[in-house]
Amino acid sequence: MKSVRCLLHLQCLRLLDQSARSAAQCAPLLQSSSSSQPSVLHKTQHQLLRQFHSSPAWSKSQPTPADDHKKDKSLVTNDDLFEQVAKDVKVKATFNKVVDVFLNRDVRRRGHVEFIYAALKKMPEFGVERDLAVYNKLLDVFPKEVFVPRNAVQRMFNHYPRQQECGVQLLEQMEEYGVMPNVETKVLLVQIFGKKAHPIRKYQRMMYWMPKFKHVNPFPVPLQLPEDPVDVARFGLARIANDLDAKVTVYQLPCTDITETGEEITIPHVVGIQSPSQMELLAKHNPNKPVFVEGPFPLWLRQTCVHYYVLRADPPEEKVEEPYDPERSLYYPLRLDVDFGRDLGDEENFDVEDLDEGPVFAMCMTGRGDQATLNQWISGLQENNPMLGQVPTLFRVNAGPQELSASADAESGHAHRPDTETRSEEKLQRDGEPGVIVEEEPQRRQGRNQ
Amino acid sequence: MSLTKITRLPSARLLSSIIQQQQLFLLPPITPVMTVSKRSMLQGEYRRPGQPKEDKFPWEKIKFDFAKGLEGIKKHFTLLKTECFERFVGPEGRPLTVHILEQNRVIWEFRGPESLEQWTVSSDREIGGQSEVYLKLGKNNTCFLYGTLSSTPPRDGETRYSGYCTMRSKQLLASFDRKKHHDWTSFNCLHLRVRGDGRPWMINIAGENYFSYRKDDIYNYFLHTRGGPYWQDVKIPFSKFFLTNRGRILDDQYYLWLDKINTIGFTLGDKTDGPFQLEIDFIGVCKDHAHTEEFAYEMNKKNP
Repeated sequence: MKSVRCLLHLQCLRLLDQSARSAAQCAPLLQSSSSSQPSVLHKTQHQLLRQFHSSPAWSKSQPTPADDHKKDKSLVTNDDLFEQVAKDVKVKATFNKVVDVFLNRDVRRRGHVEFIYAALKKMPEFGVERDLAVYNKLLDVFPKEVFVPRNAVQRMFNHYPRQQECGVQLLEQMEEYGVMPNVETKVLLVQIFGKKAHPIRKYQRMMYWMPKFKHVNPFPVPLQLPEDPVDVARFGLARIANDLDAKVTVYQLPCTDITETGEEITIPHVVGIQSPSQMELLAKHNPNKPVFVEGPFPLWLRQTCVHYYVLRADPPEEKVEEPYDPERSLYYPLRLDVDFGRDLGDEENFDVEDLDEGPVFAMCMTGRGDQATLNQWISGLQENNPMLGQVPTLFRVNAGPQELSASADAESGHAHRPDTETRSEEKLQRDGEPGVIVEEEPQRRQGRNQ
Repeated sequence: MSLTKITRLPSARLLSSIIQQQQLFLLPPITPVMTVSKRSMLQGEYRRPGQPKEDKFPWEKIKFDFAKGLEGIKKHFTLLKTECFERFVGPEGRPLTVHILEQNRVIWEFRGPESLEQWTVSSDREIGGQSEVYLKLGKNNTCFLYGTLSSTPPRDGETRYSGYCTMRSKQLLASFDRKKHHDWTSFNCLHLRVRGDGRPWMINIAGENYFSYRKDDIYNYFLHTRGGPYWQDVKIPFSKFFLTNRGRILDDQYYLWLDKINTIGFTLGDKTDGPFQLEIDFIGVCKDHAHTEEFAYEMNKKNP
């Protein structure tokens, strides 16, 4: 037994000598050459390294002197590496630099699994969590061909399970952020883990399911929303209006003024939308009944939440049947009195009580949800809808930013506070003064408009 | 002791005479086993780290009450009665013409507080997260689901992701707590009228499974809401639903068997922290003759 170990020891020493020489020769080559075109030197290097791995007794007994000063007992050394190298600027370039530093530190890439886990955790901080190139670069940290199973037994059992788990974890993070892998990822995975390992399976699953659900959203939101709040409001309003004829109007652009006294006055933006059918509805509205400005209601566009206000009325008590006008469309008949022999089973509608919530006349988004700003919107609407001048307008606006996200229904809704006590308190307050209701005299608003 | 003497000894004593030597060594390991609490003998459910231990026997959690028993008897026998007599009207208590000719059926309609009792809500609070979800009647007597989503994982050292809120219908029960299922074989589309706030939801349909290892198999599809003040009619063919188990898409896909549907659920987990709301007017199923697809995905063998 002992003699065998001695023999191995000797052999290893000899190999060390050779490999150190060759490593010194090809180290710059190794770092420069990318994984997609592995050179011959590259391969021999790995073969030699494999010999090292095969004798754990030697590595235990004689630590390499080069590693001595770097040896750190801390478990979070890789986190520290990120903190050391990228001290202040956390961008993609510094992230890549950290990976390069790790690659250059040790030929054997010792601790690469821990490093990849640490890097995955740090990715959102550096803002590279949706970058495919960075993921491929991280995959490149794995040594190639070492973890590929070489015989049936290895293939049967889970070969290098920790490393495979790490690879799957990386792919899972890609999936979580919606990054599709590409061919380079596949080539890397095959080089690292072999053709049928778990990471490759994961890759295949991703490539099957992710393209299927890539465009499944019928109301798509771009990954990067525009910076300008007016543009965001424009996009959001066009989305919720659900009418291609609807017209977006910018009633007021945001700007910041400084008065003589040095006070800063910010004018919030007011963007509204109205479709021709909504204008028609408003024109038919009974002038004795008030219209309401309600809000704010939340609308989520991916990660951002915007709030909108609605101009609406209560549902009319009596339904007036519209007399049918045959001349409204001369191109095709609006009503056909033909009995197509509908059968008992041809009922296509659901047997549900109709909800009547009253018509919606217009919607808007503003930067500040107070009454003065919303008045701007109403007076702007008046240009196209003269009916608004005769109709009393009530404001049912929830004041206070903390309640912005409160509810869809102004009367009975209560905010979602974490604890029940504050919730009941808020409800009490709300019941005491239900919103800000201010009646507007039509004459006054008309006067201001002129 | 001569050989003859040994053989004349009763067999039990013979054994003890041999083992006597070893008993001294055997005894110490036995005693700790005796002192293990009796709770460990009972197979409990998985207890998450950080969750307090409930020091109760399983029968201590059951309420034995006379009034409760009476109530149960009344409830179950009324159910049994309706079950017996509705057969004279027709299948599922409806006349035969209606049963044959129906093109659509409203399964859940939210028109009052009693309609909310058929639903349960849950969030990742159960695994130690911080999301909240509440269910109430909306302004127009619709179902109004609201709350806050928080994707901070619990600090228990083993949970990596968190942040979901869900609403699920209760299992239909016949008399004496037998399972009853929805039978939607004559329909091929799910029809919903919803009003959301622009967040994507997921619809989960759980069918009945024979094997217990498949009890978490659930069919899923996405429900994208538009947001805004208008209601949104969503029609989703059942062929689009894909099979998942505990949130992972399975390799062996198969279409949904509509004859035994247990529950339907709505899940939000879009990794966006903040308040959310979803209003549901009704949930129905309908038959779309133009839709002939059986299953939208390939039913290949796993790992060829």
